[in-house]
Amino acid sequence: MSDTLVPVTVLTGYLGAGKTTLLNRILSENHGRKYAVIINEFGELGVDNDLVVDTDEEVFEMNNGCICCTVRGDLIRIVGALMKRRTKFDGIIIETTGLANPAPVAQTFFVDDDIRAKTRLDAIVTVVDAKHLPRRLLDSHEAEDQIAFADVIVLNKTDLVNAGELAAVEAQIRRINKFAKIHHAQKSNVPIAELLDQGAFDLARVLAHTPDFLTDDEHEHSDEIASMSFEVTAPIDPEKFNAWIGGLLAQKGQDLLRTKGILSYKGDDRRFAFQAVHMIADGDFIGPWKADDPRVSRLVFIGRNLNRPQLRRGFEGCAA
Amino acid sequence: MSVTSPDFMLETRGAQRSLDAFVVAATFDRHGGTAAFGGSDGSVWLLDMADRAEWRNVMTHDGSVLALSPDCLPGGFLSGGDDGKLCRIGTQHTCLASFGSKWVEQVVSFADAKQRIFAVGVGKAVQIHAENGAVLKRLEHPSTVTGVVFDARGKRIAASHYGGASLWFVASKTDNPRKLEWKGSHTGIAIDPAGENVVTSMQENSLHGWRLADNQHMRMSGYPGKTQAMSFTRNGKWLATSGAESVVLWPFFGGGPMGKAPTELAGGDTAMCSFVACHPKHDAVAAGFSDGLVVLADIATSRIVPVAAPGRGAISAMAWSPDGAYLAFGSETGFAAVVDFTARA
Repeated sequence: MSDTLVPVTVLTGYLGAGKTTLLNRILSENHGRKYAVIINEFGELGVDNDLVVDTDEEVFEMNNGCICCTVRGDLIRIVGALMKRRTKFDGIIIETTGLANPAPVAQTFFVDDDIRAKTRLDAIVTVVDAKHLPRRLLDSHEAEDQIAFADVIVLNKTDLVNAGELAAVEAQIRRINKFAKIHHAQKSNVPIAELLDQGAFDLARVLAHTPDFLTDDEHEHSDEIASMSFEVTAPIDPEKFNAWIGGLLAQKGQDLLRTKGILSYKGDDRRFAFQAVHMIADGDFIGPWKADDPRVSRLVFIGRNLNRPQLRRGFEGCAA
Repeated sequence: MSVTSPDFMLETRGAQRSLDAFVVAATFDRHGGTAAFGGSDGSVWLLDMADRAEWRNVMTHDGSVLALSPDCLPGGFLSGGDDGKLCRIGTQHTCLASFGSKWVEQVVSFADAKQRIFAVGVGKAVQIHAENGAVLKRLEHPSTVTGVVFDARGKRIAASHYGGASLWFVASKTDNPRKLEWKGSHTGIAIDPAGENVVTSMQENSLHGWRLADNQHMRMSGYPGKTQAMSFTRNGKWLATSGAESVVLWPFFGGGPMGKAPTELAGGDTAMCSFVACHPKHDAVAAGFSDGLVVLADIATSRIVPVAAPGRGAISAMAWSPDGAYLAFGSETGFAAVVDFTARA
């Protein structure tokens, strides 16, 4: 099913981090694929591409009683129109402005039925500047949010820092988001294949490589963003899980930036992929469990004020 | 082939063609002499009603056609595209204006004995143009304009956007709109023929309306999908809409639509109604469905006449000729047709 859906890559990053350079590389490199690109600052893009769309970010509240449910109205319109010439491109790239909170972009792909039916959010790629990131994190919530939301992080301008500084900035990123893939880069020189068509929401691969060093004693009660993962080896009862996660997202959704997981439901041979952005959740069966794969359910939270023992107990309580 | 075949009308009284592109819009010129179809490949196809034999392809846009309207001048059309261009299609075709990287998402026109004008929606602005293309005024809105419509007399123009709609007087010297406010994202707009009600479609699978006389709000909800098409019957009694498994008609009489249930026609299937167009002379509505079915429904009797059978792609565009003699329709997979409804001796 997912093969017929158009992959969408969201490109975020603070001003000056190297987003536009990266976009130019993606568009000019000869990789045999064609992308429709939705951007905000038209003049900056030096590449001629007839599928570049210039838009003003229009963040709208949904009238569904959910206070943090905001979407990008302009994207609903533009992606809808682009899908009428589906055969002209292989994927869509959305560049956000430097100060953008990634949540409305991501939520757009969960909330709008027409878009959900035709596209899939492939990955959120965040470009950060190795030299200036520590200062950005001090003065800007958005910089932190952009890292927290990322599936892939391009740690750019590594030539401007020494090895010690680089290790420090990487540790800082890891404190916020343990699960994103990090690529070191200079002038945004990351192989395109590492950024696009990641199937980042095919979480099995991502979650398989996420050792969790934290122990239960660590109890995040701060405004800082942290990430935690949990495992349950017993099969999960779908009803228990829905009741628990539904309540959790409704109550703590504003603090929970991203939630993702792969679940092994009792009596089902398929993997269930779950994901949420704030309170907006989505889930679907993906391929079957492989014969030699351990059937372990994994769940990842990235957010503020995460209470590890509480989350662990809640998830374990979903066992069938 | 029998009279009961759902393709009977199309096969016996229709002209059809595959356009190899998503049919974004269908319309007729002001005199109904030519049908036009706009495609997602930037082309406009023209079919002369005199013989309905020769389809003419006019490439107008480098990208996709986004809007197609009869010209305010006789015989021609106006098109807007995602190449930022506004084109006039007549005996030849010309580019009237270019808006750079901004899409021309709406084009509407008005013509009567006193005035001929047209308007385009580009980004947050609606521009009103004289028949020669000169810009008469530029009306700014708080967010991107998602729908533009003239009232039946060409005195007012209304635009939908985030947070509601704006209603402007075309000839006013001071440009202050009447603001019709309602929280949320409004995605399309219609005015009834008497100019008494404005209705918008919304992101949340519902409609919102304003009765202009007393600012009464009207909420019309219960749709399983988004409403793409709204069309008032010629006398303004009914508003036909897409977005459900049937054609949903809201009564704009006897105190409605407030507190009244809508009438549903041509329902019963699992396919969603994807487009509607009310007949310009009779109380009948043409409806297209997501499985490709096209029907004509008589509102008073609920009688359904099949026009085209399912199987040619979801119906994405539909229009009647001004005299109601011909129905044009197109689908997402590029099917286009015109069916003749004139009485035969």
